Amino acid sequence: MTPNGKSDILQGMLDMLILKAVATEPLHGYAVAQRLRLLSRDRLQVPQGSLYPALHRLENRGWLKGDWADTPTGREAKFYRLTPKGKRQLATEVSQWKELAATIALVLELA
Amino acid sequence: MSWIGRLLRRRAMERDLDKELRFHLDEEARRHTAVGVDPREAERRARIALGGLEQTKESTRDARGTRWLEDIGSDVRYAVRALRRTPVFTASAILTLAVGIGANTAVFNLTDAVLLRTLPVLRPNELVAVKRVGLGDDNYRFSHPSYERLRHAMPDTTAMAAMSSTLRMWAMIGDAPEATIGQLVSGEWFGVLGVRPAMGRLIDPSDNRDLGGHPVAVLSHAYWDRRFGRSPSVIGSTLRVNGVALTVIGVAAPRFFGMKPGDDVDLYAPLVMQHELRYQSNASVDNADGSKPWIPQIGIAWLTVIARAAPDQRAQVESRLERDFRGALTDEVASREEQVRTFRMREHVRLEPAGRGLSDLRKDLGAPMLTLMASVGLVLLIACANLASLLLARTTARSQELSIRASLGARSGRLIRQGFTESLTLALIGGVCSLLVARWGSVALLHLLTSNTNTPSQALQLTFEPRLLAFAFGLSLLVGVLFGVAPALRIGHADLHAVFKTGGRVVGARHGNRFPLGRVLVAGQIALSLALVVLATLFARTLRNFTAIDPGFDQHQVAEARIDVRAAGYAAERLPALNDRLIEAVRAVPRVRSVSVSVTGVATGHMRTSSVEIPGQVHGPEWDGTVQENTVTPAFFETVGLSLMRGRGFTASDATGAPPVAVVSQSMARYFFGTEEAIGRRFSTGDSAIEVIGVVRDARVNTIKDAPPRMAYYPLAQVPSEYPNGIEVRFDGPAVTVIPLIRAAIASVDRALPVREIVTLDELLGRGLREQSLVSQLAGLFSILALLLASIGLYGVMAYTVAQRSTELGVRLALGAKPAEVRGVVLRDTLRIVVIGLVAGAVILIPSLGAVESLVYGVSPRDPATLAAAAALLLLVGTLAGFVPAWRASRIDPARALRAE
Repeated sequence: MTPNGKSDILQGMLDMLILKAVATEPLHGYAVAQRLRLLSRDRLQVPQGSLYPALHRLENRGWLKGDWADTPTGREAKFYRLTPKGKRQLATEVSQWKELAATIALVLELA
Repeated sequence: MSWIGRLLRRRAMERDLDKELRFHLDEEARRHTAVGVDPREAERRARIALGGLEQTKESTRDARGTRWLEDIGSDVRYAVRALRRTPVFTASAILTLAVGIGANTAVFNLTDAVLLRTLPVLRPNELVAVKRVGLGDDNYRFSHPSYERLRHAMPDTTAMAAMSSTLRMWAMIGDAPEATIGQLVSGEWFGVLGVRPAMGRLIDPSDNRDLGGHPVAVLSHAYWDRRFGRSPSVIGSTLRVNGVALTVIGVAAPRFFGMKPGDDVDLYAPLVMQHELRYQSNASVDNADGSKPWIPQIGIAWLTVIARAAPDQRAQVESRLERDFRGALTDEVASREEQVRTFRMREHVRLEPAGRGLSDLRKDLGAPMLTLMASVGLVLLIACANLASLLLARTTARSQELSIRASLGARSGRLIRQGFTESLTLALIGGVCSLLVARWGSVALLHLLTSNTNTPSQALQLTFEPRLLAFAFGLSLLVGVLFGVAPALRIGHADLHAVFKTGGRVVGARHGNRFPLGRVLVAGQIALSLALVVLATLFARTLRNFTAIDPGFDQHQVAEARIDVRAAGYAAERLPALNDRLIEAVRAVPRVRSVSVSVTGVATGHMRTSSVEIPGQVHGPEWDGTVQENTVTPAFFETVGLSLMRGRGFTASDATGAPPVAVVSQSMARYFFGTEEAIGRRFSTGDSAIEVIGVVRDARVNTIKDAPPRMAYYPLAQVPSEYPNGIEVRFDGPAVTVIPLIRAAIASVDRALPVREIVTLDELLGRGLREQSLVSQLAGLFSILALLLASIGLYGVMAYTVAQRSTELGVRLALGAKPAEVRGVVLRDTLRIVVIGLVAGAVILIPSLGAVESLVYGVSPRDPATLAAAAALLLLVGTLAGFVPAWRASRIDPARALRAE
């Protein structure tokens, strides 16, 4: 619970990435990690220790909804899908991120 | 899922989390095995990637957001486990709490019933009583015509009602008269109170029209239950009360006990039945004939008037009533001379909130109850301090466990909360057990308080209603926090790393801190104990001072038989013969030396007052011409041991036809005749002039607490229509053997004559001191408890100190200190705590002792001798408590103490 600016930014980013990962289809936790790795072409290594706390936090906020279902291999896993509330949150975060990224880029250009 | 759902589904959630992470690990491991990694190595890599299964779980739990609630559950389980490991500590703590909280709850119940609780009626905050003020003592008595006049001044004439006092009435159940408490009420009364019938109907205005024409009765629910087993057939049946056949028309709602908490009414009858039911009490009679029906007479004030007025309309209603009261007053005094009229017209009416009832108990018990409440609260505080000390010691003993938990990452806030959970768990368990103690304690308390009434009042009994439960629960929480705060602070401040360095022996013993928490607690206990011991001493001295008062007559070896001739239905003409037969029959009892009959009896609380005028005397407005009266047979003064100072007593020749005579008390003689000779002077109470023939000693004939009233005694033979209420009997030998014989003698005259009781005057006078003796006994009990708890606390702290300082003391002994010196060191240390506590206690206590001014008699609340004695007692107790640790300190084996270093 100690305030730590660095992890807050990382956490915020991780939340957004998770929401994006499950935006197209429901995924279980392991698949979320794989998807993010694939999408980032292996450049983004999701810290696995932070993944599950983040999933549960997002579920607690009502942005994700977790349901137990069978995987293609026949094992039961918890699949997270985006709720309508989560969808709105994702849109907000993405636009905020883009704005921030553009601003930072602008500053870097001009400096 | 709601937070409560999650809390309840905690186990399922844990299982799901486990399953989810297991799946992840398996998938991750599969990725490794797919490229040929050994399965065990794959599993290891998967766990490393996840960052440790347990850590991940823990942070995932944190992310759920209901963590604090889940923790409470586990804290409670942890606390219960910890408490079960130390059953002796736990049991003694719970017992202490149960007794402490239970005693407080029981006393609170009584305080609540007497002082705070509102009546079980409709919107009690609107109820008011009409009070007469402006003339000497305020009172609530109105005549029926004045009541009717006031009622018609009300905006709504059904919003005012009148009632008589409650009175013992005799109901014939089978062929024996049985005492019941009756009350006469106006037709509007039940309506104003908003009480509904449980069965049948209640008295309404149609039952109060014709004088003597409505022989009906309404039973209270409790009486119906107690006496008639809730039989529905009681409606319509006939009940003979004081010789009148009353038809029972209904039963009032359950839990309605009347207007006076502590004075439960059994049956209600209409006001118009006053004459038939021979109700004659608690009235002021002025220029009127008490033997005729009271309803039409404006000179007889006997009704308490209540009304319903919303708080915001009260002032307006009051001024309307005041206007009509002027009219009523003008009528009341119309026949009097000018001077009296002007004086009497100074009276006013006031509305007074009556939503809590009109209890005499409130007046009598208000201050004692609050004192008891405070004392029992102090005892609980002292007990809390002891528990805090015990928990502190426990915390110290557990410091190693705590530091391990801290080093494993438990935050100190978390540990403090856990400490609190433990004390709160203890307090709540104690609180639940305290309900049993409260139940038992309130029965005992009620028994002490109302030893002479046959049925304990419904209003005062302990019921586990929400308010009481809330009190017990709230008190438990408060207590839990109080005694939990010190140990919790200790947990928070403990230098946990020191534990590892020293093997866990010295945590908490922070050197250099001369007055640590444990000592502060004990000093506080000493301060509180001082307060309790001082109070108990003051009350004990008050009680002794009261019992040492000479009542002015010889109260020993005298019995009073309290009879109710009026209720037995005797016609006035038969009274002289009855009186003679009663005296004759009782005098024939062996060991009886002297017998008299009187109208009010002695120390019965049934006094009668009259206004006396001396022909030819003119008085200023401050003049108070009232005297108390009793009408007696000639042997009265001899029987009760009231000595004649001047003149003569009554003889058989002071009878009807002879000149009216009176014997007066010294104070009456002094007040009316000053230094002049009273014998031979005359005074009047209405029409006839009465000659003073004798002066008797001033005596406390009502209660031992009140100063002797101005008394006038008249011979019963000259007022033959007076109904006697008491037979006084002077006897030899033990009362227990004589009283049954007196009872038999009275029964031999008339079996149906109601005898309320036959008691010695010693007992009757003692009843007046019931509150004093209750307060004194309880305060004594509480102070003993306080001393016990404080000495245990002191002993504990000193024993702990000696254990801590054993090395130092051992070294001193090794260096040649004498055992006596070491004992002195420890004893001085003990006494320092006691003295600090005493000084702090005195500083707080002395200014606040003024609050008990009204409760003490014959001793100043700040009596220096009492304070000094209490302080000395505490010093003595402190020395005793410190002696064992001191002795043990002097027996420390230096060699062993040094080896332990």
